[in-house]
Amino acid sequence: MDLDQHLAAIVAGDPVAFGRWVAGAEPRLRDSLRPLASRVDCEAVLQESLLRVWQVAPRFVSDGKVDGLLRLAIRIARNLALDELRRQRTDPATTAALAAALDEVSSTVAMPDPLLRKLIAECREQLGGPPARALDARLSSAGAEPDETLAARLQMRLNTFLQNVSRARRLLADCLKRHGLDVERP
Amino acid sequence: MTNDERDGLIEAAATAWRPRSTGGAVRGHPAWHDLDESGREESFERARVQRSLEAALDPDGLSTTARAVLARITRR
Repeated sequence: MDLDQHLAAIVAGDPVAFGRWVAGAEPRLRDSLRPLASRVDCEAVLQESLLRVWQVAPRFVSDGKVDGLLRLAIRIARNLALDELRRQRTDPATTAALAAALDEVSSTVAMPDPLLRKLIAECREQLGGPPARALDARLSSAGAEPDETLAARLQMRLNTFLQNVSRARRLLADCLKRHGLDVERP
Repeated sequence: MTNDERDGLIEAAATAWRPRSTGGAVRGHPAWHDLDESGREESFERARVQRSLEAALDPDGLSTTARAVLARITRR
């Protein structure tokens, strides 16, 4: 599926259309940064890249090939990540090697199918207690609040909160594995 | 650093929440800066898995990363 199907609405300033585009683009954009995972905070680079895509989208001109806006997003993320490496005064040869590694990354857009979504939802419903509460807190906060705030709201110590988030993900992954789905495999 | 402390940092850095600079730019998570290289790679993997699960659980297919970004652009 060509994610540029959302382009006209995004250019017109429709954030809902941008959300649909982000839903499809995020996994591939994240994967494109994998070679730098030990060098830059990829989550921060990813979010900043998406914000910049939204800013420049009205001036984007398609080259007629599929996923033009996603390819632009990958270039923006790559440049932001390399800027961060230079800011850290990383050795130029290392930076060049990492830039080459970034250029080699390729992946396809994978949309979760309805059956997969249903399976994950079923496994989520089997969670209970503190792990479910911690996971729900992260989900409902949607990245807007630090874990310290979420932990305090749940009356948990930060370490306990983080352990419960880990436990929730592990339990979800185990449940999915029992159904033949290994989400932990890159 | 104990294994539990290290694991806590990895989990903390795997959240979608990120601090902002005074100019509004997205900054690195403090816990990420405290991790060694293998811990950072592990945090990347946890975030990847976590976001795919979040997106599958969300009615609009949006992860918390996507929600955080959309909150920023709709707030402007």
